[in-house]
Amino acid sequence: MYWKYVIKRVINGIVIYIILIFIFSALFNMQMEQTVRAQIDEVVKGEVMAQSTSGKWTPEQLMNWSKERKVYYTELYNLNKPVFERIVTRAVDTILFRYGKSTIIKSAFGERDVVKIIFETVPRTLLLFGTAAIIDVILGILIGIKKAQKPGKGFDKGTSIATMIVFGMPSWWLGMLMIMFFVYIIKVFPSGGMHSTPPPAGFMYHLDTLWHLTLPVLTLVIIGFWGRAFLIRNIVLSVLQDDYIMSARARGIPERKVLFGHALRTAAPPIVTMALLSLLVSVSGGILFESIFSWPGMGNLYWISVEQSDIPVLMGDLSFSTGLYICGLVILDLIYGFLDPRIKVGGKA
Amino acid sequence: MKLKDLRGSISEFWNEFRKVKSGLVGLGIFAFFLLLLIFEPVLAPFSETNTRWRDISYWDDNPQSAYPIWVNFFSAKKYAKSSVLKDPQVSEEAFGTNRMMTYTFEYDYQYDIAPSDLILKIQGTGAAMMDLTFTRPDGETVYLTSSNLKMVEGGVSRISVDKGSKSEAYDFLGGFESRDNMRKFQRSSIKPAAILFAKAQENMLIDPEPLKGKYTIQAAILLQRPEDTISNVELVVPGRVFGLLGTDAFKRDLFSGVLAGIKWALLIGLLTAIVSVMVGVIYGVISAYLGGWKDSAMQRVFEVFNSIPLLPVLIVMSAVFKPSIWNLILIMCIFYWTGSVKTVRSMGLQIKEETFIEATRALGASNFRIIFKHIIPLIIPYSFASMALFIPGAIVYEASISLLGLGDATIVTWGQILRDAYTGGAVINGIWWWVIPPGLMIAIMGMSFAFIGFALDKILHPKLRTR
Amino acid sequence: MAAEKTTQNKRVLEVKNLKLHYLTSQGAVKAVDDISFCLNKGETLGIVGESGCGKTTTAVALMMMPSPPGKIVGGQILIEGKDIVPLTETQIRKQIRWEKISMVFQGAMNCLTPVYTIGKQMMETLREHREMSKEEAIARIEKYLAYVGLSKEVLKRYPHELSGGMKQRIVIAMALFLEPKIVLCDEPTTALDVVVQAQIINLLKDLKQQLDLSFIFITHDLATEAEVSDRLMVMYGGKIAEIGTNEQLYGKQGPMHPYTQRLLKATPLLHEKVEELAFIPGRPPDLLKPPAGCKFHDRCNVVMDRCKVDEPDLQEVEPDHFVACWRCRES
Repeated sequence: MYWKYVIKRVINGIVIYIILIFIFSALFNMQMEQTVRAQIDEVVKGEVMAQSTSGKWTPEQLMNWSKERKVYYTELYNLNKPVFERIVTRAVDTILFRYGKSTIIKSAFGERDVVKIIFETVPRTLLLFGTAAIIDVILGILIGIKKAQKPGKGFDKGTSIATMIVFGMPSWWLGMLMIMFFVYIIKVFPSGGMHSTPPPAGFMYHLDTLWHLTLPVLTLVIIGFWGRAFLIRNIVLSVLQDDYIMSARARGIPERKVLFGHALRTAAPPIVTMALLSLLVSVSGGILFESIFSWPGMGNLYWISVEQSDIPVLMGDLSFSTGLYICGLVILDLIYGFLDPRIKVGGKA
Repeated sequence: MKLKDLRGSISEFWNEFRKVKSGLVGLGIFAFFLLLLIFEPVLAPFSETNTRWRDISYWDDNPQSAYPIWVNFFSAKKYAKSSVLKDPQVSEEAFGTNRMMTYTFEYDYQYDIAPSDLILKIQGTGAAMMDLTFTRPDGETVYLTSSNLKMVEGGVSRISVDKGSKSEAYDFLGGFESRDNMRKFQRSSIKPAAILFAKAQENMLIDPEPLKGKYTIQAAILLQRPEDTISNVELVVPGRVFGLLGTDAFKRDLFSGVLAGIKWALLIGLLTAIVSVMVGVIYGVISAYLGGWKDSAMQRVFEVFNSIPLLPVLIVMSAVFKPSIWNLILIMCIFYWTGSVKTVRSMGLQIKEETFIEATRALGASNFRIIFKHIIPLIIPYSFASMALFIPGAIVYEASISLLGLGDATIVTWGQILRDAYTGGAVINGIWWWVIPPGLMIAIMGMSFAFIGFALDKILHPKLRTR
Repeated sequence: MAAEKTTQNKRVLEVKNLKLHYLTSQGAVKAVDDISFCLNKGETLGIVGESGCGKTTTAVALMMMPSPPGKIVGGQILIEGKDIVPLTETQIRKQIRWEKISMVFQGAMNCLTPVYTIGKQMMETLREHREMSKEEAIARIEKYLAYVGLSKEVLKRYPHELSGGMKQRIVIAMALFLEPKIVLCDEPTTALDVVVQAQIINLLKDLKQQLDLSFIFITHDLATEAEVSDRLMVMYGGKIAEIGTNEQLYGKQGPMHPYTQRLLKATPLLHEKVEELAFIPGRPPDLLKPPAGCKFHDRCNVVMDRCKVDEPDLQEVEPDHFVACWRCRES
């Protein structure tokens, strides 16, 4: 029963991903092709240069040859086909992770394969936002429950106001302030990046990473956990008003077990959903955050590829983050079905 | 009848809203922003901020990276304020056809930190020669510069001491400062203004002590042809503090910039939120009302849009299409409307089952009429909360796009000021007054709408209300 | 006050001058205001009244779990002669709740935590109070499931997989398996359909005889009340209007308090011929600003001047029959 639902949801996710990639290919077709044409021109120029230095051919022959090569590459990259076919081929390539070559950006090993460049950045992004999310959710649960226990009292109100204060605050702006203060004024943290240069070896390597991770994670947590606490408070508060909580208390179950057992277990599916969803949103919304801390993740890659106008990397990054985002949404649904026995799995659209 | 109902429900709503204090605070801040917006032409010190923000010449008379003026309240050492001396004493001597015009400015210096520059601005026609001398309270006189002026009608000749008198200041310094200290600095790297206003003693270059008192700046202008004229001479003293929020590294007045950003933030936020929430409401209601395969199809489309990571797509679209602010708002609406669909659809499903809808349908009302006249008006109040809560997001998205340098370059937004601050090294150099105000404005505006939105939410979802 | 002529040792519960107020920003809402009554061993006391009269609040007070901003501001609750009001929360949780006094809540549908199996919830409750091995616990649970007519199959189920009647039986089994002195039933049958209602009532009656329990039975359904209870307590506006045995109130003489009289008239009893079905005009009093004097005076058809000024206290008019009414005292 549950497996059927899982398969259905996964296929649904894949279909959506494919549709989106088609839309992106159609939208950005012109741009992609411009870069491919530019790349062809460059390659052909290189070839002609190589031939001309050998001195065997006349300028006229060279000219013809260059034209020939251009036609050859144009056919190779399907640029002579009708627009629709080109879009489809590009979409299929993207879906199969054939993102092509970058124009400027290189991976740590000097490769210009966009897939390699992106794959390099993914674990770093997950490390940064994952760490922040874990701390966020733990703090959020603790504070959220505390808020829900005494709703409308000083602590609840104070933290709710803090939630609203950071509600419209860009995380990258807070990042700038944090850097200004902690890096340049009191000089306790490194200004950015993932490692010191040169990175220390052995165990110190990890400590060094942790040290670089602290400030960005701190910033993300400061901005994030209020909102999480507020959401959890609302969920827990509505659960606490349910009859079975009173009933459990009346049965002499200790308050700790009522809160962290009955109430939190019941509230778990929506809490997990909300937490994961806001993690997804904060990852996709916080992509500029990485650049402020020069954290070499997927978000920083957006920044660099925009600055360098490296369209293939930009497109690859977009396709990949879309894929990750959809993956997150699918996992979210699956976890919900898993956590809540009330959901008749398969019945949910 | 209907109008009376509406008025009644509005006053009832207001009575509820009044009880939520945070909502009132939010409304108060919003009203304050509106006031600032309305009085922008009066309040802004630079009237052409909106059109000439990126025109460097417009800001040339301002000091560079100057602190906000109120820093003097908190600082033990007082920074020189910026000022313009407009009424020089004028005397004229004639030597045959030559005329010697002498303009004498008196500057009363009572600060601890010297101004950043002295700028002489001359308007007139024809050619002239000018000598600029600087007399200090201690009796020392420094010849600052001699220059040839070529003046055109309507143009302004600017003589900057900071740019043109480094050598003269260095020579003046040589009379007092120790050899060792002199060697530490290049002729071209000194700040003339800092030397001119310091006590003439050893260490005046490294640790200048202010020489307070009356300074005299004399511009002697020699006109050789009778048709040449001088119409106006001004001395601009760019200080070390300027305006309510200081200046940036491009000498722009940040208060004017931040003020100019209000209208764009409000426009982007309100327009995007209202349009996208309305689209979401209409979409959700139609989907719920039609039901069946149409509903499923609409839900599939919704799912596709809902699976788009918003900011990445906005970034790529902005990078590729370089949109104007209006197009950016349009793009945001296209991808932002999905947020409210889910709740609206479930509300729509409930309302659809109500008896009065059945009755209306039985009376022969068209689907269009039922949806727009009977269902949507019921849902709209609930969507106000989402509208308010959508606004901060839209503002932050625009700021993020601008931070990447992809914003609309014809307007001034807070995000663009932050972009300039970031790329201009404000973070590294600690120019906090360049970084904090625009971001704080984004945060405060976001906060005001969050206050309003959460207050509305509290009223509309009583289960979460606290006694 | 309510010094009934019964011997002290038969009494399992005695409530003296109990006050539970909701302390709101607009003032104190006197939801339960100075009530005194007692419950004898093996007896069923029915509490009736309109909604908002303080029935459920009384039950909540007896469990010592007022929800904020409610607070017990005075009085005593003596269970077997021991006052539980001064006890700490932990003492109450460990010694009183479910040990001495258990409760079947209004709307059993929602009284079971939806994400735990029935077995887990019963186990948790049992082992919270009794140190016993898993096997012993299961044996005890099965015994009580048998009492309510369920098999142990239900233990593995989640609440949403069971019918309303089954859930209600489970809740009842859970209320009994610690063998408490007193069982509070707060409208135990309201959300169920008629057939199941009858089954549950019969079940409760059987269990009472088998297990020698003392019940407090709260309902607004007088027909049910008449069937299960030995004595009846009528509440109005947070106060007791009348207490008497079933025979006294349903018998020849009938109730004395004008409110009870009209309440009984407003309810058709199955085995009686309906002459007129009266309804009581007006609304229950606003407990934030209760009327002066007798709280019922503005709805009373035999109101006197004194009723508008002085509040009547509970007076014994015949053995075991108490009434709070000036008019009754005159006649």
